[in-house]
Amino acid sequence: MQITRTLILTCLAAVAFSASVRAGIDYDRDIRPILSQKCFHCHGPDAESRKANLRLDTRDGYLAEIDGVRAVVPGKPQSSELYRRITTGDDHERMPPRKSKLSLTKREIDLLRQWIEQGAAWSEHWSLRKLVRPTVPKVDAAGRAWSRNAVDRFVWARLAERGLTPSSESDKRTLIRRVTFNLIGLPPTPEEVDAFLADQSHDAYERVVDRLLASPRYGERWARHWMDLVHYADTHGHDEDAIREHAWPYRDYLIDSFNSDKPYARFVQDQIAGDVLFPDDPQGVVAVGMLAAGPWDESSQMGIKDGTTDKIVAQYLERDDMIATVMNTFVSMTVHCARCHHHKFDPISIEDYYSLQAVFAGVDRTDRPYDRDAETIRKRRELLREQAELERGNTPRAGLLSADVQKRVAVWEQRFRATGGDWRVVRPASVTSTGNATATKLDDGSILFAGDRPDKDTYTIMTRVTSERVTAVRLEVLTDDRLPQNGPGRQDNGNLHLSEFKLLVNGQRVALHKPVADFNQGGWTIAHALDGNLKSAWGIFPQVGQSHEAVFELKEPVDASAGVTLTFVLEQLHGGGHLIGRPRMSVTGAVKPRLGVGVHAAISDILQVDASKRKDAQKAALALHLLKSENAAAIAALPKPSRVYSIASDFKRNGNFVPAKAPRPIHVLRRGNVLTPIKPATPGALSCVEGVESRFTIRDHQSEGERRAALGRWVSDRDNVLTWRSIVNRVWHYHFGRGIVATPSDFGRNGSPPTHPQLLDWLAVTFRESGGSLKRLHRLIVTSATYRQSSQHNAKYAAVDRDNHFLWRMNRRRLDAESMRDAVLAMSGRMILKMGGPSDRLFVTGKGVHVTPTVDYDKVDIDGDHARRRSVYRFIFRTVPDPLMEALDCPDASQFTPKRVASVTPLQALAMLNNRFVVRYCEHMAKQIETEYENRPAQVRRLFMLAYGRPPTDKESRAVAAYADRHGFANTCRVIVNSNEFAFVN
Amino acid sequence: MNNTRRQFLTDTGAGFGALACAHLLANDAQATPRTLENGLHHPAKVKRVVQLFMNGGASPMDTFDPKPALTKLHGQKFDPGGGQKVESVTGSPGFKVLKSPFAFKQHGQCGRWVSSVFPRVAGVVDDLTFLMSMVSKSNVHGLASYMQNTGFTMPGFPCMGAWISYALGRISDELPAFVVMPDAKGLPYNNQGNFTAGFLPAQHQGTLVKASAPNPIAHLHPPRDANFITPQGEQAGRSLLDQLNRDHAARHPGDSRLEARMASYELAARMQLSAPSLFDLKGESAATRQLYGLDDKVTGDFGRRCLLARRMLERGVRFVQVWSGPGGPANNWDNHGNIHKELPYIANQVDRPIAALIRDLKARGMLEDTLVVWTTEFGRMPFSQGTAGRDHNGGTFVTWLAGGGLKPGVAFGQSDEWGWKAVEPIWCYDLHATILHLMGIDHTRLTFRHNGIDRRLTDVHGHVLYDVLA
Repeated sequence: MQITRTLILTCLAAVAFSASVRAGIDYDRDIRPILSQKCFHCHGPDAESRKANLRLDTRDGYLAEIDGVRAVVPGKPQSSELYRRITTGDDHERMPPRKSKLSLTKREIDLLRQWIEQGAAWSEHWSLRKLVRPTVPKVDAAGRAWSRNAVDRFVWARLAERGLTPSSESDKRTLIRRVTFNLIGLPPTPEEVDAFLADQSHDAYERVVDRLLASPRYGERWARHWMDLVHYADTHGHDEDAIREHAWPYRDYLIDSFNSDKPYARFVQDQIAGDVLFPDDPQGVVAVGMLAAGPWDESSQMGIKDGTTDKIVAQYLERDDMIATVMNTFVSMTVHCARCHHHKFDPISIEDYYSLQAVFAGVDRTDRPYDRDAETIRKRRELLREQAELERGNTPRAGLLSADVQKRVAVWEQRFRATGGDWRVVRPASVTSTGNATATKLDDGSILFAGDRPDKDTYTIMTRVTSERVTAVRLEVLTDDRLPQNGPGRQDNGNLHLSEFKLLVNGQRVALHKPVADFNQGGWTIAHALDGNLKSAWGIFPQVGQSHEAVFELKEPVDASAGVTLTFVLEQLHGGGHLIGRPRMSVTGAVKPRLGVGVHAAISDILQVDASKRKDAQKAALALHLLKSENAAAIAALPKPSRVYSIASDFKRNGNFVPAKAPRPIHVLRRGNVLTPIKPATPGALSCVEGVESRFTIRDHQSEGERRAALGRWVSDRDNVLTWRSIVNRVWHYHFGRGIVATPSDFGRNGSPPTHPQLLDWLAVTFRESGGSLKRLHRLIVTSATYRQSSQHNAKYAAVDRDNHFLWRMNRRRLDAESMRDAVLAMSGRMILKMGGPSDRLFVTGKGVHVTPTVDYDKVDIDGDHARRRSVYRFIFRTVPDPLMEALDCPDASQFTPKRVASVTPLQALAMLNNRFVVRYCEHMAKQIETEYENRPAQVRRLFMLAYGRPPTDKESRAVAAYADRHGFANTCRVIVNSNEFAFVN
Repeated sequence: MNNTRRQFLTDTGAGFGALACAHLLANDAQATPRTLENGLHHPAKVKRVVQLFMNGGASPMDTFDPKPALTKLHGQKFDPGGGQKVESVTGSPGFKVLKSPFAFKQHGQCGRWVSSVFPRVAGVVDDLTFLMSMVSKSNVHGLASYMQNTGFTMPGFPCMGAWISYALGRISDELPAFVVMPDAKGLPYNNQGNFTAGFLPAQHQGTLVKASAPNPIAHLHPPRDANFITPQGEQAGRSLLDQLNRDHAARHPGDSRLEARMASYELAARMQLSAPSLFDLKGESAATRQLYGLDDKVTGDFGRRCLLARRMLERGVRFVQVWSGPGGPANNWDNHGNIHKELPYIANQVDRPIAALIRDLKARGMLEDTLVVWTTEFGRMPFSQGTAGRDHNGGTFVTWLAGGGLKPGVAFGQSDEWGWKAVEPIWCYDLHATILHLMGIDHTRLTFRHNGIDRRLTDVHGHVLYDVLA
């Protein structure tokens, strides 16, 4: 709310003001926030909305003389138009104008006056400033005595400016509980607490930290943070919230990467373009799962035809999500404002935004196969190269006709015939449709039906065949991109229903039997096509978008050596437009006819010619066919690839979801409207980051991979100041509950300025120079004296710095949803530490009304192994969140979550009291403790140690034991896990 | 102002402020009823809202927006002229003009046209205010539902109920501010995504009430198989918990979150006591049961939910959303196949209960400061899909309002002669701005900072529809 903003500013300004008296006006801290929130909207970086040609976001802008006046005359507020306009009593002249609903406070006006008086200095926005290692501040003897590392000196110096000093160090129990939750997301075991208390060595704490960083639980904890940032889930979200069976390999990639302390630059590159930059690394394809982590609009992408407005919008929003995922996460910039116009507050142009759209122009989200080892990757690449060459058709004739190849052809032909596969495609002589469909005969022997789609239809296909004998006929129903969902049916959903299939030989109906199909829709089997019942039929849903085939054997083989006329009758009388789109008929004389060995009509024709009478062109065609088959067989023989939900530019079409293959054309759009393109956009990133080229040099414009690779390099560049500042601030945020910059994903002018800019830069440079080791960064932070402080309140200091921006104490924090659940699980003694693999479904699914299944969290077997793993492995159903986790503020992954909220609601209290999981695992916890400890006081002691990391006082022990005696130990455990001491970490 | 403080705390909050905020929120709602009565920015005309959402895209030209031109052109290829491109999302053949198979008649003093699918709603037409030309950015269920609920076509944005909860807080200590009742047959498109608090704090999330389930509200009671939990144990447990928490708070002074969390357990206990009576309909008269059609198979589910909505509003719930129809391609308002068969099927379920709700609220004097909103995510095409169905159409559709602060019996906005596109488009932003306005909220000043932007329910758009206000 605007009123609100005024108040925030007032408070921030109050802090700033008291500081400014001492330190002078600081543009970055005192002035830019005022200008950006109150003035930049009309006098900022966006030229289109700029009023009076006045620009206040640059020094040149505010010093410029416009129509004889200067907005700012350094040293002279009274001569400065800006000052006059913000102080004038004239309603029409006063800035900001009334209709903006903005206004300046007296204090803000004062600050602006002082700023002009002091020379109106300007500085680059803090986050975009060149990154140089700041000198560690010199501090007095007390500061030196307190400090454990450089972090502390920066903190001490800022505290000293305000007359504050740090709090005393936390006791060891508090310390181990805090650092264990922070680093691994679990409570310390009573044994770990006792061991730490008993360890009197000077580096006992450091060794706890090292133990935690080496634990695989560390990767599980920090991967979960990352999943918040990239809005990871196991379903698509949106209307058709279908399950992503293969999203989890990306989650496992994250856990592995954190555990192996992957250098940060590589971690960045992996997730933007690992498949392109590191093609031999099996994890490359998995890592780019980041780009696919967010929601996907199946209904628009699969249900709507390409080229329609709704589809173009869906593709545009799809890229927008990828852009936001990358830019919010890695460089903490919100670029989506520039979708419609130049950013009002930050130097991000509309061209910058659409150059990012161009980076992702060639990809869509889909399951993508990947090989698990480098050797298979290499082999597959080689075979695919060969396949492409064969498809190009440039294979030299001489090679194809060589004795060696022709011998292989002969062997192949023999085997092909022996396996009952010598289907001969028959070319139709005449085709009729009772529904008046237009029939087009295609090259490969198939017939495409188009035109008005009637409810029902019967196709009659006649042909003349001469061959030794006919034992069976085959009907193929083929896909075609002119059909809905790519066919093979003509129904909107791609399905077809064949009520009855009849064969006439020379006009006489013959009996068929042994019907077989490669796929049958549930309840709609191929047997229905021969049952004489027009109400029943063969269908292929949901396997639409794929070709299918059915074979019918003749009860009595027909001698066709003199030539016969065959008539195929395809009755499709079920209704609802369930018609075949593109059928093709074949016949065979094989004794045991089989499915699935069809060849193109042209090859089929050649095979009818006696081998000795074939022309060279025919021999070459057969040889090419053989080489293709061999290549296909070699590819099929490779180890079956794994799948990951990731991004791809080429994949099998699914309904109206068609791969881009090459980058789709991208335009700068007027006001973000896909119907009003302005000009073509070329790949690039943000031009405000100096020293890193923001317009990418792309050699092959058809290669989408090159574009992402360029973005990966841009983000991970040594000189990309945003990247390095962003990550160290995030780590700080997770350790202290508040970042040095309180808006971890917004380093723009409307985000919060850093409370410790020098420390932020020092950490960023130190981290970068360490090779981007997150574990070293954690160690640095959690071993600092700053981190080890007590979280106790101090009324005097709170009066100066109520929200503890300057870290005169540690922040007390409520456990996040996963830590809360994992702690209950760990305390119950039933946690399973198995890592990785498919996500655990803590619900049962049923058949939904459409694509999304029903999801019931109340019916799942809560004692099963799936409920006993850490929460990071939980299956996240975007539109039907887990009621326990939701109540505890676990986000539903629709949006990016750079920081968790910790709300307090009665519904949350009810969830912790009555949720099935909590209730059941409190029962387990009680049973476990009662088995291990016989007497009540020992049981209570154990429970306190598990939950709080401390033994109970005598008073507590008596009260809790008395309750346990009357109401059971399971209820006692429930009380404890609902207590504040459990829910908060000091 | 309370809200200033609230917002301030939320904004400054990395965890910390937000928690303190939650505490204050809980107190605000109790401590300052006057502010709530009067609205946030200006005096409020309505205190509570019930939104009836017709899931699937209710056809305007078969209900409230008669189009004689369609009868004239029936069977001809649809051609709006001027080379305008005619698109249809599911891309099925058809495009032949389809007249409405339902008869339209004028009703009430106001003489508004209503078709034969809504005989009972037609009886209260003088209480309704029609918005005849709502438009949607999208012709896709998911996106369009998000748009009508949250103002954005993408997931993750707070819905109107959440914004209202955020702005005005709870009226009652015993029930949540925002309740959602989906169709017994299933959740709507986007499932719970339509009721989300998005980036607003979790307490503003719509509380899901499964009206016909044995446990309508999640976690209200312990699981049935947990035999070790007894009423005596619960009572003693609450006091043990309170004692432990008070000792803990004494050792950790200066942290209001600790008290807030203790208070939340007291509220939870109160909610447990009062919620069951809400669902106990024994006290309702036979006439009321009859009015809402509770004992009829067709109207039973929607009727029960409408009656529960009225009971919730009486008990201080601020925003109730009642859904008609599950997601998916059938049994809802998504009448692709045959409008003549499919529309009456679903309309019959809601016609009686809706008329009952309006009459009941009016009889109890509640309609004066309650707003009833009947809406859907988009309309349907003037031409056929297949032979007798209609495809999605974001081009124009009807929404109506009833209750406090409105001009009753009037219509605002206009669709073209076929009902294909709006002549005077009314966006969800305008509808949302108007609803907020009636509740005493200036939609441009109800903001929440998320990811670098001060987000609003109305994005950067929205005009209050003063023409329909009394």
